[in-house]
Amino acid sequence: MVTASARFLPRADLDRLFTALTADGRRVVGPTVVDGSIVHDELASFAELPKGWTAETAPGAYRLQPTGRDRLFDYNVGATSWKRFTHPSIVPLTRGRRDGNQVVVEAVEIDPPKLAFVGVRACEIAALRIQDRAMRAGPLGDADHIARGDAALVVAVECAVAASTCFCTSMGTGPEIDGGADIILSELDEGFVVRTGTDAGADVVDRLGLGPAESLQSDRAARQVGAVRAAIGDPVPAEGLATRLRAALDHPRWAEVADRCLACANCTLVCPTCFCTSVAVASDLDGVEGTTDRTWDSCFSQGFGRVAGDANFRPKVKDRYRQWLTHKFSTWWDQFGSTGCVGCGRCIAWCPVGIDVREELNAIAPIGAPSGPIPWPLSPIEGRAPAPLATVEPAAHVTATVRSVSFETVDTATLELVLDDPALLGSRPGQFVMVELPGFAIPPISISRIRPDGLNLTIRSVGPATAALVNLATGAEVSLRGPLGRGWPIEAAYGRDVVIVAGGIGLAPIRPLIDAILAERPKFGAIRLYLGARTPRDRLFVAEMNALAGRTDLEIEEIVDRAGPEWQGKVGIVTQLFDHAPWDGTRATAFMCGPERMMTATANTLEHRGVTDENCWLTLERNMACGVGTCGHCQLGPFFVCRDGPVFSLAELGSAFGLEGL
Amino acid sequence: MRAMTETLCALLTQTWFAADMPEDICERLSAIGELKEYPAGAAVVSEGTTCRELGVILHGRIALRLALPGVGEQTILTIDDGDLFGWSALLPESIATSTGVTLVPTTALVFDREPLAALMAANPEIASAIYPRVLVAVTRRLQATRTQLLDLYRAGHEPW
Repeated sequence: MVTASARFLPRADLDRLFTALTADGRRVVGPTVVDGSIVHDELASFAELPKGWTAETAPGAYRLQPTGRDRLFDYNVGATSWKRFTHPSIVPLTRGRRDGNQVVVEAVEIDPPKLAFVGVRACEIAALRIQDRAMRAGPLGDADHIARGDAALVVAVECAVAASTCFCTSMGTGPEIDGGADIILSELDEGFVVRTGTDAGADVVDRLGLGPAESLQSDRAARQVGAVRAAIGDPVPAEGLATRLRAALDHPRWAEVADRCLACANCTLVCPTCFCTSVAVASDLDGVEGTTDRTWDSCFSQGFGRVAGDANFRPKVKDRYRQWLTHKFSTWWDQFGSTGCVGCGRCIAWCPVGIDVREELNAIAPIGAPSGPIPWPLSPIEGRAPAPLATVEPAAHVTATVRSVSFETVDTATLELVLDDPALLGSRPGQFVMVELPGFAIPPISISRIRPDGLNLTIRSVGPATAALVNLATGAEVSLRGPLGRGWPIEAAYGRDVVIVAGGIGLAPIRPLIDAILAERPKFGAIRLYLGARTPRDRLFVAEMNALAGRTDLEIEEIVDRAGPEWQGKVGIVTQLFDHAPWDGTRATAFMCGPERMMTATANTLEHRGVTDENCWLTLERNMACGVGTCGHCQLGPFFVCRDGPVFSLAELGSAFGLEGL
Repeated sequence: MRAMTETLCALLTQTWFAADMPEDICERLSAIGELKEYPAGAAVVSEGTTCRELGVILHGRIALRLALPGVGEQTILTIDDGDLFGWSALLPESIATSTGVTLVPTTALVFDREPLAALMAANPEIASAIYPRVLVAVTRRLQATRTQLLDLYRAGHEPW
């Protein structure tokens, strides 16, 4: 809603705008010169705006230069973006207390400041929208981000100059402003052409009592921004870029750019749309009180893709650069229906080694590049995002009480938890929960049994948090958040044979699936369970699996990787259990869970047995820090594993499954 | 004699080893085979010794083991119906690389290395039918070894 009737604010009257913006207690944030660069900071008055300065930028270079003019906005974008205020680098999430057996975890109340953002450019408006869309997606969204964005008033300024690093024209995000702002200013030498975009903006402008802008003034403003467009040109042809890029996942340039890239994460920190975060946990010395904060992180961080078992899905700089670039320009479309880049050029200017994303894109995915295999067909978010199979909205911070702890192996225990939360009791097989003890990291744990009065969690002790969990006493409390993720599509196997393959701790998320299938046994054909474990001592739910072996309406076989002479069962890899089995895979729906390498081998064997990709379901392990698709850790191509999975069909994953470095 | 060969061939084709093997090759192979029955706990192959026989398990299970000083014998793989044991018999050195011990009473069709080598040398079509099946056995050994090397199911030390 941009008003057609523009008004004019004389330069001498600009302070009246400041007064109007702050009249209702709003604080003003805008550009100002600090330590030789233009940054966004709280302003005491408009006298702090960067009057007479422009910024010359180039790959790896940023220098302020005097313009000799009185203009306030003769630069393009500052070093910092507005996400500093809508998506701060540190946000308190929870405060927890552990008092004996009792655990209380509460979300920190959100109290967003009322801010007016002054000087927001077209590309930055696009960035605010893009990040907002990302933070509103998923089952819960990011409440802090949403509240801060909703509380902000945006006073935009159309660009009057073009930096050498700008490419908003290619990304379709500027330089003209046609919405997304409450007030839009176009700076001329004598003052500002003022338009309003929202009722809130109109309220502020109405208080200024401005006269209409002359048509010549409006024309000059339009010509000014038109000249900016012409100066920028079209440095990155965006048509088809998303598809070209995903067809170039094995391009040699990834390794070449990785040789130059320092993986310093500057590009992601200055990027106005990058939203990846981690959860920082702190505890007092006696372990009674704990806090969690959401902190900025980056997909360039060495440990960003790390998961249990010392595995790291993106160990090389090459992997991480590819992740960043393909996310921005390709898979962002799948997730959020738009580009993830707004062409502000910050990543170019602030890269210490001067890597120019435009140059890399044109080298890796130029127009007319021979097309390689495309791992995922490009589709808008509405068409692709698999609908969560959860029937209820996940709960936040539900307290559950430990009824019993049963050690399955020397390092793995099952916690039988009692709780009364309807959402958690409505969990589906294959879903997971975030389990919190104040002061400890918060692991995602698969639900290993869904009972009428609670949940079972089977946890392997691999670090301080999981060690604390498996050592809880009867009557102790834990805090749960969930159920999260998509569960197993049990209905997809109705009327069909079922093949279940589980390896190691992977049997835990498989067990509720077995429970559910056996609860509706007549709806399925033959049921075959194949279980793998490291050694005979590492097998889970041994008594229960032995009991299943006594049933006549299913087949169950197990195998271990290694064993002593006392073991009379099978030794080898799990696929050995069925690679020559006589059943017909075309009639089967398969479900599997285990280490990814085990699952790739299993998928290959199942394919040879005739099980189609559409009928082959698996649950993936990734670093799931938030559980709702807003922290970015668990991204796999177009998917957030926590939100879109962790259960996927092979058909959904395409060639992303098992691809190194994704 | 002919009847025995047909019986052995019929038993062999019930396993994956010969399920899709041409009938004439199966019969010519079976003609030089010997049906052996092993009680549980029998050593069918011994690591480091000359391997004189290639066998196909018709029914049963054999554990392939390596002796580790200070640890004892460790089972690295078990093989079942249709699987091969003693494929070292096809190699010039014929030294067995592991010890094969039956875990249950096991029936196998066993081929002495000299007649088998002679049959394959004289009949390339038989050799070309057997070697891919031997490769399946070797591949399984490799896969099992790789899996054990990777130790896929191990737990690492984690922040959580």
